[in-house]
Amino acid sequence: MTRILAVDDEPLYQHLLKVNLEKEGYEVITANNGEEALDIVSNRHPDLVIMDIMMPKLDGITASERIRQFSNIPIIILTARGEEQDRVRGLNIGADDYMVKPFSATELIARVRAVLRRASNSDQATQNRYFTHGNLKIDFARAEVWKETKPVFLSATEYRLLIQFAHHVGQVLTAEELLMAIWGPQYREDKEILWVSIARLRQKLEDNPHSPQHIVTRAGLGYLMPPIEKE
Amino acid sequence: MVTTNNHSNEADIQHLYDISQSVTQNASWKTALDEIVNLTRSIFIFDNLVVYLLTPPHNSLEVVYARAAGRGRSAEADMAWGENIATNVIQSRKPILQDPPEISSRDRLEQPFVLGLPLNIGDECLGAIILIRFGGPVYSQDDIKLAGFISQQIALLIEHQDLREQFHQLEEQQQQYRLQDDFVSTITHELRNPLGFIKGYTTTLLRSDAQWDQTTQLEFLAIIDQETDRLQELIDNLLDSARLQSGEMRMQFQLVRLDSVLNDVILRARLHHPELNIHLNIEGSIEAVKGDPRRLAQVFENVINNSIKYAIGSEIVITIKSDDSNVLLIFQDFGPGIPKDYLPFIFNRFFRSPDAPNIHGSGLGLYICKQIILAHSGQIKASSEIGKGTTLSIHLPLSA
Repeated sequence: MTRILAVDDEPLYQHLLKVNLEKEGYEVITANNGEEALDIVSNRHPDLVIMDIMMPKLDGITASERIRQFSNIPIIILTARGEEQDRVRGLNIGADDYMVKPFSATELIARVRAVLRRASNSDQATQNRYFTHGNLKIDFARAEVWKETKPVFLSATEYRLLIQFAHHVGQVLTAEELLMAIWGPQYREDKEILWVSIARLRQKLEDNPHSPQHIVTRAGLGYLMPPIEKE
Repeated sequence: MVTTNNHSNEADIQHLYDISQSVTQNASWKTALDEIVNLTRSIFIFDNLVVYLLTPPHNSLEVVYARAAGRGRSAEADMAWGENIATNVIQSRKPILQDPPEISSRDRLEQPFVLGLPLNIGDECLGAIILIRFGGPVYSQDDIKLAGFISQQIALLIEHQDLREQFHQLEEQQQQYRLQDDFVSTITHELRNPLGFIKGYTTTLLRSDAQWDQTTQLEFLAIIDQETDRLQELIDNLLDSARLQSGEMRMQFQLVRLDSVLNDVILRARLHHPELNIHLNIEGSIEAVKGDPRRLAQVFENVINNSIKYAIGSEIVITIKSDDSNVLLIFQDFGPGIPKDYLPFIFNRFFRSPDAPNIHGSGLGLYICKQIILAHSGQIKASSEIGKGTTLSIHLPLSA
């Protein structure tokens, strides 16, 4: 049965989504905030998430962003009129559609069907919410990094840099690619800022920053996270 | 006359240091000026010192500081205070020296030696400082330099003070804007939510492709009904608050029996919340007060609803008693309580507890209560203890 996760801090919205979608034969799980949503996405593997934006604990945009680090499950963002910026941000971070509150029950069902139809045509790669590389572990859902059993505290930029490598294991990333992806086009030439950030990342992650295991330099080409041989 | 002795060069530097210290360390420029004047007097002779400032909106000259320290204190307003020179100094933005026309007169007070210096900051002139010596001595080049240093310090002091005042004003304005912004977004959110539910549940009932059993239909209709009430309440609150704010709300005073008003309110609360655990203690006989029964009921309802919303599941105990001059009503709940930091603000317009963002409200309820009670010449107060609960007490004067 197709499983839908409905995330909203208003019980009446949860109920509204639930009755209408269950009538369509979907299984519906509800969550009160982004944090709960992340746990359910990684543990119960729903087929679609309907996500409100303004929620306590963890807002819908951040939660969607984190889901996208490990899953391409379809996400429909629920927004209020006037939150155009949020809508754009939602689509930018990889939401599949958005729905403006107040919405009608028929619109809800039509959008859910359309998004699910599109999703069934593409391959659903829900990866693990955890990523490991040697003694390094990333929890995408909580945006946390661990070395052995110790938490590593990264700045937002350092975390995004690390995620770039984790998503492209075994692939050499050029300085320009990294600068474009993390700092934006106006920084594409600004290699020094990347050097400093990689040096800092190595300080925090590597046993020996002078002989790095996680982020390796390929002279003249760029950097990569080398594949780990499975034993 | 910077130094009277050669060996006191060091002492002079110490003085200059102390003067600049006064500039940077005093919160009020008046105190700082007092200190500077005192310090200056030990290294620089003067009888009178006046600070003139250009003040908005017409750039008129105002005296903001004046000291008569030496000769002729007794002459008071009759002596020279250099206002003409101040105008010239401000126009030319340069120091001006003016010696007395003739030195023959015996009266020193008729022989003012005036030194005027502009208070310049960058290319702006804030005003002028005037120093007067009656009967000399003549200002030396060193004197003029030292006075120049002091005038710069005073200019900095005044500018600093001005900027600080402007900063505070801006901060206050900003705070006001922020409150209004928050209010608008809270209201938008509070209006949009019930609308969203009404739209959502109505269209659910209207779905042509789905059948709902009667219980479900009734459940949806009850939600729609309840959300319509919420919209109504919100709009009423907005209107009441606007009327109270502009003083347009008229009270319809009559003799009111508070215990019976309370009984009605409690009855209605029980109707809406059948599980509600609410008790009324009436201590002794309660005399009637002069009041508007509809508005007082509104206050009691609001206070009880707050307990229902914030102290979920808690018992609510209401006590009513009277003494010679007042009726006292105490509303007590045993909920989570209100943090100390928020307690002083709960009666402010638009205030909402940042700790309970999920609870619906406009931030107007208690503001309206307070205004209504004030219109009855009464008082409303809150006390609270975290984890123990909240008590609201209302005093209403007995009609004479």
